Amino acid sequence: MNFELTEEQQLIGQSAREFGKEFLDPIAVDLDHSGKFPKEIIEQLASYDFLGLLVPESQGGAGAGFVAYIQVVEALSRSCPAVASILNNHAMATHAIATWGSDAQKAEHVAALAKGSRLGAVAVYENGPTPGIGPDALVASRQGDKYVLNGTKAFVRNAGVADVYVVFATLDSSEKKEQTAFLVDARAGGLTVGPLLDTMGLKGCPVAHLLFSNVSVPASALLGAENGGSAIARTLLAVSSVAEAAQTVAIGKAAVRHAAEYAQQRVQFGKPIAVLQAIQTLLAEVATDSQLAWLGVLRAAQLIENGEPFEADAAMVKAFLARFGSKMLIDCCQVEGGFGFSEFMPLPRLFRDIAGTTLLDAPADYPDKIIADSIA
Amino acid sequence: MTNMTGIFIFSEDRALAKQLLTPALELKQALGQPVTALALDGEAAAELAGHGADKVLVLQSASGWVEGLGDAVAGLVGEASVILIGGTQRGKHLAAHVAARLDAGLTTDAKSLKIEAGKLVASRILYAGLAVCEEEQSFPAVATVPARTFPAPAAAAAAGTVESVPTAADGRIAVTGVTPVDKSGVDISSANKLVSVGRGFRSKDDLHLAVELAGKLKGEVSCTRGIAEDEHWLPIERYIGISGQIVKPDLYLAVGLSGQVQHMVGARESKIIVAINSDERAPIFEAADYGIVGDLYAVLPLLTAAINA
Amino acid sequence: MPKFLVLYKWTLDEQDIKVKSDDLSLDASRAKGKISDFDRNAIEEAAAIVEKQGGSVEALSYGTPTVKQSLKDVLSRGVDKAYWIGDASAETADAAVTAKVLAAAIRKIGPYDFILTGEGSSDQFNQQTAPRLAALLGLPCLSFVHKLEVDGAKASVARKLADCTELATVTGPAVISVLSDINKPRIPGLKQVLGAAKKPSEEIALGSLGLAAEDLQPKASRRSVKGFVMTRKNVIYKDAPADAVAKLVSSLAGEGLI
Repeated sequence: MNFELTEEQQLIGQSAREFGKEFLDPIAVDLDHSGKFPKEIIEQLASYDFLGLLVPESQGGAGAGFVAYIQVVEALSRSCPAVASILNNHAMATHAIATWGSDAQKAEHVAALAKGSRLGAVAVYENGPTPGIGPDALVASRQGDKYVLNGTKAFVRNAGVADVYVVFATLDSSEKKEQTAFLVDARAGGLTVGPLLDTMGLKGCPVAHLLFSNVSVPASALLGAENGGSAIARTLLAVSSVAEAAQTVAIGKAAVRHAAEYAQQRVQFGKPIAVLQAIQTLLAEVATDSQLAWLGVLRAAQLIENGEPFEADAAMVKAFLARFGSKMLIDCCQVEGGFGFSEFMPLPRLFRDIAGTTLLDAPADYPDKIIADSIA
Repeated sequence: MTNMTGIFIFSEDRALAKQLLTPALELKQALGQPVTALALDGEAAAELAGHGADKVLVLQSASGWVEGLGDAVAGLVGEASVILIGGTQRGKHLAAHVAARLDAGLTTDAKSLKIEAGKLVASRILYAGLAVCEEEQSFPAVATVPARTFPAPAAAAAAGTVESVPTAADGRIAVTGVTPVDKSGVDISSANKLVSVGRGFRSKDDLHLAVELAGKLKGEVSCTRGIAEDEHWLPIERYIGISGQIVKPDLYLAVGLSGQVQHMVGARESKIIVAINSDERAPIFEAADYGIVGDLYAVLPLLTAAINA
Repeated sequence: MPKFLVLYKWTLDEQDIKVKSDDLSLDASRAKGKISDFDRNAIEEAAAIVEKQGGSVEALSYGTPTVKQSLKDVLSRGVDKAYWIGDASAETADAAVTAKVLAAAIRKIGPYDFILTGEGSSDQFNQQTAPRLAALLGLPCLSFVHKLEVDGAKASVARKLADCTELATVTGPAVISVLSDINKPRIPGLKQVLGAAKKPSEEIALGSLGLAAEDLQPKASRRSVKGFVMTRKNVIYKDAPADAVAKLVSSLAGEGLI
């Protein structure tokens, strides 16, 4: 058993941390206020090759592996989780094409996505209780050598800024409502991006609905097999949930570091409040939760990199952070008292962001079910 | 000129050279050895000879480029016990060269100096101020000493002797131009002295009290977040605190500000903090070296008047 | 085509060093290594010049055996080849020992046109390596450089001193120490990090340098290290304004501030 990162993984994380301090720290507050997609920052990420980190070298990426990817997501999220969210959604779309795409699809998209000349997004959610059910489910019908898509995908991140969407639809012929994945060009006729949602946190990472009205795509846009999309979505969401867990841990660590420094500086009754047991308990719990969750994240990441079954581990991390993610922020705010509650300090922003990283991408099944199945 | 023992001092900065005499004279007491000063010109030499140096050697250098005097100084100090060099950048360069030539140790930026068991013991800062350490060196021992670490000594009863020595300089470096630093900018973080204002001032017009004091001190005016962001009395670049500027001036004179932790984080590394506040219980007094409990409107004009331009 | 050697120190990240409140001792157990801040500027400067006008950049470090951890880091920052001397003697080495070791190593792997290093290390900040090394190697030295232009064997520099900017020229080989504002060190991109593994590095055994045991004995040895505690004097005058001001003025004069 080896808990050590390789030298490359460590240096990639260090490089991302330096990137965060240099480029993200200065804009994080403004981005939280403006919510404007940070185009230049994404271009910067591309120029440091972060956008193609996961993509194999043979397809034009850096091929650094999933553990290194998690280092980067964590390091960037310490400064600005919204930017890490943009990266993650792009990386998941790229990962999907690089993994399940045909040779022609790979040739067309992957190198461009890895380089950052194109941006990707994944459209998986719908307004109904589960994809394929509900009045505005995205339905695809085969018509000759093409598919025609009608309906709505909900809460699509990188919506409006992506050049290519990995879209999950239900074939009208599918009785079991199995999903089928397509690659849809952002310029496709009949595809419109709904109004941007004013989100609670992760501002700057655009979220909107995608509206499909007779969007016609060629048969070559099929990603994987017909009715093979559910498995892709399940895996993709599980992988993504590990990255989101890394974001959550990073936010918790950033918050507890800030709160600990505050506690050292804040003097009450002649002593820094850091010496008070009540404060120490709060800080120690947050530090413990984030550290243990981080070990779980790394373990899941290593399984993904090794190509081993990881879904149960990913679900455990997800379920754990769903419970303790926001609590870490509540406790840190508690330490900083009235100051922590004010927008003058970074905690309110981190609080909103952590809501996003704990609520959003979940495995397609509820994590508890995956975990329960894994132990039965 | 070789084979002299004793204590040697040098700085091209005349005020600093004089300050070096203070620790040198203490070392003279401890070691019973004479103090020899090296100077660049006759005027500086006379001053050092008049303040306790037993002997002053005037270096007749061709170029006057202090950094190039290393070989010459190493030759002159012969078998010195202790060599103290003023901790300017030029002085540090020179000292390192001399130490290498003498195969000696060198303590950079010594804050204190003493002799213990035949060794020079000096304290200095490590890790950018996080820690202090004590270093010891056998003789010959070299140390650089920052300006104003020691006060200048009083004039001596008897003046030392002055003689000139021809000195070779380093001809391999050609100095092609020297431009004095323009100090007119308003970069708060590089100001040596700051008068920092807070909500104790009742109106923007009253800030002239601080401006005048800063002028007398040859410093700049800085402020709290409230003054810059809420009142807009001063530009945002002048505000000090956790999300503003972090400064380390020699003097931080806080006027009419209470000293909240968010503000003090930006100023706590100042060398000397002075507080003027009418509220005796304001936390700024705990963070201050000196303070006056009083009305800034009464205190500031008096203080400005009392400081000699 | 200038041939550069950059000297760098692998130091502990001072941000991770904590002062224990009970005895003021330092706890560096959680501190990670880093390339000393100003040495990054030296690396960047050499790398940027070579990228623009050709030449080569090699790097050399002397440290405890942990210095080996620095190789990929330094190679990801534009350096072509890294040399390292890892030896326990570095634990107690002062600037005198360090300069002797580096000088001996440079005699072995050199010559170079320009030897660059940072103004001082972020831990000790002795600011001695460049001039000491130059003295030992018999080379000219320019310190505190914040602008550097290299044209063939000639270097033109601007030095930033407290009270002036000084322009100077020197013909290599020469030793040059740089200030932090000379450039902004690059953040290595992924491809640089992954490419570092393919670049050469070479260990130089301390024993191969022909140094005497005495050369490894520090001339300045550390007796004690203690955390620095900022204590304020808290001298508060509550007299009538005129008296309080008079006392404050005399205090400030005593501090050398007015």
